[in-house]
Amino acid sequence: MDPADLLQLLSEQQDRRLRVIENLLRGRRTVSTLYWGLRYDLLPLLNLAKPLDRGALDAPAQLLAQQGLIAGDSAEGVVHLTERGQTAATSTTYYRPITRQNWVNVDLIAARQRLLLAVQVASQYAHSTSRYYPLATDLTTRQAVRRWFHRVKGPDLATNLREALVSSLRQLPAETAAVVTDQFTGYQQPGYTVSQLAQSTNRSAWEIQLMHFDGVAQIALAAQEAQHPLHDLFQPLWAVPVSRSAQQTLQAVEAGGDLARVARVRKVKLSTVREHLLEAAIMLPATEFPYDQVLSETIRQRFAAAVTGPIDSWQYMELPAAMRDELDFFYFRLYAIWRMKRGDSE
Amino acid sequence: METLEASLEKVFGFNTFRSGQKAALTALESNQDTLAILPTGAGKTLIYQLYGYRHPGCVLIVSPLLSLMNDQVDRMRISGFKRVAAITSQTGYVERQVILEHLNELQFLFLSPEMLAQPQMLARVGQLDLSLLVIDEAHCIVQWGPDFRPEYLLLGAIRTKLNQPLTLMLTATAGKVTRQEISKQLRLQPQVVTESVDRPNIFLDVENVANEAEKQSRLQALVAKLQLPGVIYFSSKQQATDTALWLQQTTGVQAAAYHAGLSGEDRFRIQQQFMTGQLDLICATSAFGMGIDKNDVRFVIHYHLPADLESYAQEIGRAGRDGQPSIAILLYAPGDEQLPLALGQSNRPDEATITRYYAHPQSFAADDPVIHLLDFYRGHGISQAAVTQLFTRREKERNRALANMLAYARERRCLRQVWLQAFDETSPAHSAACCAPGEVALDLDQLELLRQPTSETENAPTDWETRLNRLF
Ligand SMILES: [Zn+2]
Repeated sequence: MDPADLLQLLSEQQDRRLRVIENLLRGRRTVSTLYWGLRYDLLPLLNLAKPLDRGALDAPAQLLAQQGLIAGDSAEGVVHLTERGQTAATSTTYYRPITRQNWVNVDLIAARQRLLLAVQVASQYAHSTSRYYPLATDLTTRQAVRRWFHRVKGPDLATNLREALVSSLRQLPAETAAVVTDQFTGYQQPGYTVSQLAQSTNRSAWEIQLMHFDGVAQIALAAQEAQHPLHDLFQPLWAVPVSRSAQQTLQAVEAGGDLARVARVRKVKLSTVREHLLEAAIMLPATEFPYDQVLSETIRQRFAAAVTGPIDSWQYMELPAAMRDELDFFYFRLYAIWRMKRGDSE
Repeated sequence: METLEASLEKVFGFNTFRSGQKAALTALESNQDTLAILPTGAGKTLIYQLYGYRHPGCVLIVSPLLSLMNDQVDRMRISGFKRVAAITSQTGYVERQVILEHLNELQFLFLSPEMLAQPQMLARVGQLDLSLLVIDEAHCIVQWGPDFRPEYLLLGAIRTKLNQPLTLMLTATAGKVTRQEISKQLRLQPQVVTESVDRPNIFLDVENVANEAEKQSRLQALVAKLQLPGVIYFSSKQQATDTALWLQQTTGVQAAAYHAGLSGEDRFRIQQQFMTGQLDLICATSAFGMGIDKNDVRFVIHYHLPADLESYAQEIGRAGRDGQPSIAILLYAPGDEQLPLALGQSNRPDEATITRYYAHPQSFAADDPVIHLLDFYRGHGISQAAVTQLFTRREKERNRALANMLAYARERRCLRQVWLQAFDETSPAHSAACCAPGEVALDLDQLELLRQPTSETENAPTDWETRLNRLF
């Protein structure tokens, strides 16, 4: 990630974004990281750069600091955009993905691997070549594409796939459609590398990857249609973005039962039940979480009376001691999530 | 049993062997351990593929380069061998389990040396019926072993544990010392099958430059007029990347960098672009080359001084495989030997470090590669004195090899003679078509290596839908 990419993700006020960005990219899904990811609208970054090293954003942050675009303590991860930084961030025509709200629901990395191999296989098949170098990829991808190919191969495959891809890519900006097309490898077309595309479009490598993700997500959305040629290949990659154990806890709570009882039945600690619920509340739409059951009207009213101002300024420790004795930090956090899900960002 | 020629015809559809292949196969068929020193592109892999076809059991291939192994597996599958697999540190857990479950059914198994050195893996491999053990890039036992890949040093012991299977060692280049060292490490007395390393169609050239700036402008001038395609080798990834961009912008040549830092996906694309002629120039580190067969490479330039003549020979061997006039150019500035010297030393602990390490091994961080190396030796029960001696000897060898390389760079009469001498070969008489040492001017026109003006085949820009249609 270049300094210019990081600049786009930082903020003038919220000065604790750096570590959250790093943890999200690397797929460290602690409740705290997820909560702040939601708070800062950074959750689409989750899992997008798992091989990133710890501290990999420190160097670009230092460069931004040297240029006077951010201030603060980059070693501590506390940095904010300066006025110049804010101007620089908004003045560029940085790429803004249009499908990002869907990203947490689909495994984009795996989907991209499958798409690339499927296009290569279909392209070579369309030109009746069977002897070629397949893209080097992992076993799961190879097996999935192999199974898919044996089901769908036939005289119409190339036409169907081409039409499906064209129709999805047409919904993206033309530049994105071109960048997504040019990554494909196939018959007599090796495709272009990320850095070659970055060079020819005058964008950063990360922007090119964002365009790829945008293209993959757009195609995956269309492939939810059962008739789509990639339906079988992509469908398993859509998933509720909540861990399996958190889903089980959520089901147990929804089936009725207070949290302490769920903890006993599931043989986990009460604190674990609460973490699971927070994870689910953060990752799911408001309608899919039993707020009325877990966060009663009475509790909401008490918080509404006790906290004021922007959510970021709320402090659990500033609540009256009696209220803290009665209502765990869990409820405080859940109330903030509920407010955000309702669209109260202030 | 059918004749070797009959097998060749059946499996590959050829009716004659290339030189060296038959001699190596004949030696193996008479149960002789064999060291085959054959130039790049001579079809070394065919030797063990055909042997594996003719004999029951599994051919185990130990190879040092991960990317090369996967490449090789793909190639073999394409040519019809289906029971082939590779296990490296990059193989995912699930895939590894699948391969291990079907280990007994494999006809060819590729392993990295560190994978084979793991006791569990070695035990599994020990239960296989091995028809042949292949040590690919066998010169790495000497060139890389003590510095980078300590596991190669265990191959002798591993071979003993595997009950000394019939062994084929393959390399493109090995002088007398390297040959002796390979035999010693592997504890065997192989029959040596060798061809001359000389490549008469590759003109040899050394260009003396005063400093870095002059080197860059000389490089730029050469790339602007040399016949393409070509490869430029660098010692650093960053410099390869920067130079590719710079040359593309200033000379209009289609160039890209290739090094181990790229993703597998991008390495694939760059290789294929070069193969299909979309790219004319690769700026590479030594990661590039093994496993690439492009016949019409017209020039190989070395921007940095290689550490020894064997790597140099290997890298310039990518030029002119089609037998057409080609050129190998070494750019040399005074003091260039400092870089390989420093690279060698940074991989090697000094005596004081070894002493401190053996006194308190726990207080060193194992993520330092030098400490990792010492951990490895200590873990295998090698004493401080032996390790010190090993590194001292190793340093002497490296210095001697570098001195030979430097002698080549500074040679005033015949470069080919210096080169071939290192491989105990005598050189044909020097002529104007042979080489141009540092002070001799280079006449590309005479060598028929000047770039001919090409008719501009500038493709009209197409929109993305047309490009997408073309795929299908
Ligand atoms: Zn000569």
